Amino acid sequence: MTAGEYRRVVVLAAIWAALIFAPYWMPVFGGYTALGSRVLVLGLGAMALNFLLGFTGVLSFGHAAWFGLGAYACGLTLKFIIPSTPLGLLAGTLVGGVAGALLGALLVRRRGVYFAMVTIAFGQVFYYIAFQWSSVTGGDDGLRGFARQPLDFSLFQIDLLHSDLAFYYFVLVCFAVVVAVMALILRSPFGRTMIAIRENERRARFLGIPIELHIWIAFTLSCFFMAFAGGLYALLNNFADPRVLHYSLSGDFVIMAVMGGMRMFWGPLLGAVVFVVLQDYLSSLTVNWMSFIGVLIVLIVLFFPRGILGLIRQRRTA
Amino acid sequence: MIKRVGVAGFDRRALLKVGAAAGLAQVAAPFVISARGEAPIKIGVANPLTGTYAAPGKNESIGMQLAVDQLNAKNGILGRQIELLAEDSTSGDAGAAVQKTRKLIERDNVDFLVGNVNSALAQAMAQVSNEKGVLHIVPGGHTDPITGTDCKWNVFRVCNTTRMEANAVSDLLFKTYGKKWHFITPDYAFGHTLYQGCEADLKKLGGTVTGNELTPLGTTDFSAYLIKARAANPDVLVVLVQGNDMVNCLKQISQFGIDKQIHVAGTQQELEPVEAMPPEARVGVWMFEWYWKQAAGTPGLDQFIAETRKRSGGKVPTARTWFGYVTIHAYALACEKAKTIEAKAAAKALADLELPPEIKLQPNKVYFRGGDHQLMLSAFLGELLQTGDGDPENLFKVNSIVAGDSIAPSVADTGCKMNMPA
Repeated sequence: MTAGEYRRVVVLAAIWAALIFAPYWMPVFGGYTALGSRVLVLGLGAMALNFLLGFTGVLSFGHAAWFGLGAYACGLTLKFIIPSTPLGLLAGTLVGGVAGALLGALLVRRRGVYFAMVTIAFGQVFYYIAFQWSSVTGGDDGLRGFARQPLDFSLFQIDLLHSDLAFYYFVLVCFAVVVAVMALILRSPFGRTMIAIRENERRARFLGIPIELHIWIAFTLSCFFMAFAGGLYALLNNFADPRVLHYSLSGDFVIMAVMGGMRMFWGPLLGAVVFVVLQDYLSSLTVNWMSFIGVLIVLIVLFFPRGILGLIRQRRTA
Repeated sequence: MIKRVGVAGFDRRALLKVGAAAGLAQVAAPFVISARGEAPIKIGVANPLTGTYAAPGKNESIGMQLAVDQLNAKNGILGRQIELLAEDSTSGDAGAAVQKTRKLIERDNVDFLVGNVNSALAQAMAQVSNEKGVLHIVPGGHTDPITGTDCKWNVFRVCNTTRMEANAVSDLLFKTYGKKWHFITPDYAFGHTLYQGCEADLKKLGGTVTGNELTPLGTTDFSAYLIKARAANPDVLVVLVQGNDMVNCLKQISQFGIDKQIHVAGTQQELEPVEAMPPEARVGVWMFEWYWKQAAGTPGLDQFIAETRKRSGGKVPTARTWFGYVTIHAYALACEKAKTIEAKAAAKALADLELPPEIKLQPNKVYFRGGDHQLMLSAFLGELLQTGDGDPENLFKVNSIVAGDSIAPSVADTGCKMNMPA
């Protein structure tokens, strides 16, 4: 084992240990279990966005649309179709992912700012549908009247609703599975191709790589991951409202990814930790908490364009 | 090789850095829990402090803080001091309100929850408080289902229902202004049920609706809706929007001169928006849920006004200040009656509580109805004044004060089926 590999294993072990024992060490710093679940869910969303942004080099500014579709589909499934947590999540993932796949096909020829603008437009379409269609989505009041159901393993049941701890570990297991899938894809030849496109799209095209197809696949995968995170978010709050589809939430995901470090696999999770914990803490102190986040993001973009994790990496190699 | 890396990872500088960071964390650690003696009773408030309902939200806070200070000066609740923890729920983001509610319950372990001015946010919060079994008073979200079809054992409300508001004013509007009504309605829970109530009352009286303009919460430009309303040529333009939306809407109505052609009125009106609008926009017949200028000799009223003025930079109390004040005092009275702050016992005590004179601050009997947990408070009917009468803040002429139980639908008609847990 080389020194680099050794270090990698240690870092990975540290990350997972921190996550697994989070409910036990967080209270020391005033955190609480539900906050941990929130960090994981939004972190997963930021990592899903970064799958596209950081590794394919395509900036989507409407990813909240797939997140929100996942949340609504999960909530509506639990409320109207079948009270089952796994099926709700599955429905959320499929609805958000398939919608992303279909609209992605229309998007892949756009680049840069045009791509970002069209994604915002699609996102806002879903926002206004959720806002106007009161009879189904609850409109501006949000979707209420569903709750996460116990996990049934026939031999025993796990109550996710009344135990924050059980729900945290449920989210952590989901998070681990999705992150593992993401990592596997990124290590595969397809993942390398994504990075090749990010680094130099023209060269990749001359090498005979079907760029549009690859971007479409990356976009679609990212939408599926995002919708899965959205489903978890609906379960976290037992609630969904149109703002989970709004482009301002897309902006929050981009902020998390950029703040944490968008070229790094774990960067967005770190960004989500900083964003969510700061929001949780500062918003109790002042209604102007967003200004502090704003100052922080300006400082990071100006001085550490590779994000917090990028800064740590840089220090180590220097 | 492994050993070498391990040693290199922990050189002197790294150790110093870790030490410094740990030291800093001790000072800067934001959430250090202080020692617990006889722990205070924690009251969590998630209410709007920003956005279109910021002014009502802040006035409710003033009323709550006043009540807390009064109680703490007299040995608190059951001998325990009270601590208020306030969070900004925003004016219209139900997701934020849910998140804040979970934070108050899960992180701060509040014993009692208060919120929200916005009906939709209040409904969303009620679902969380019910899931967690925390006693919850809604101090100012009016939509019917909170104490109707969606009523819950742990949720109480001190402001009117939208149906009570519609019933209080409809008759008067119909007699005063005519039978063709056009509505400007906020597009969320509050507006939807208030419109339904008004429409039902109007149909009963034999009138017609010429149209209903649904406006998103936080609308600043009402011109498109107003042009449509004017074209429909109704007898009355009924304005149901609230907060800053009300200010903007009435301002534009007077700018367009619509109030010269069509009567302008509404159901619920409040002192916060009325003070924020120019004098020429203050027109029409309305209801206030509580008003500060009342007959001399109302017990406790002068003191309430004086104490509020001290805390609000000289401003008089509004209905919102009173809601906040009543919310805390009602909770305290219920706990004292139940001799515990345990949620179920306190809820049972609150369910048929009658407010004493120095807290109700109005002529009629004011009490919680056990069947739907709705406070029966009076409606103050009258008309807006363009300039203050006697006091710059006396901008409403009260013509009559109607008892709450005379305008409230029966418990059976609210659709509430209360299930108290054993």
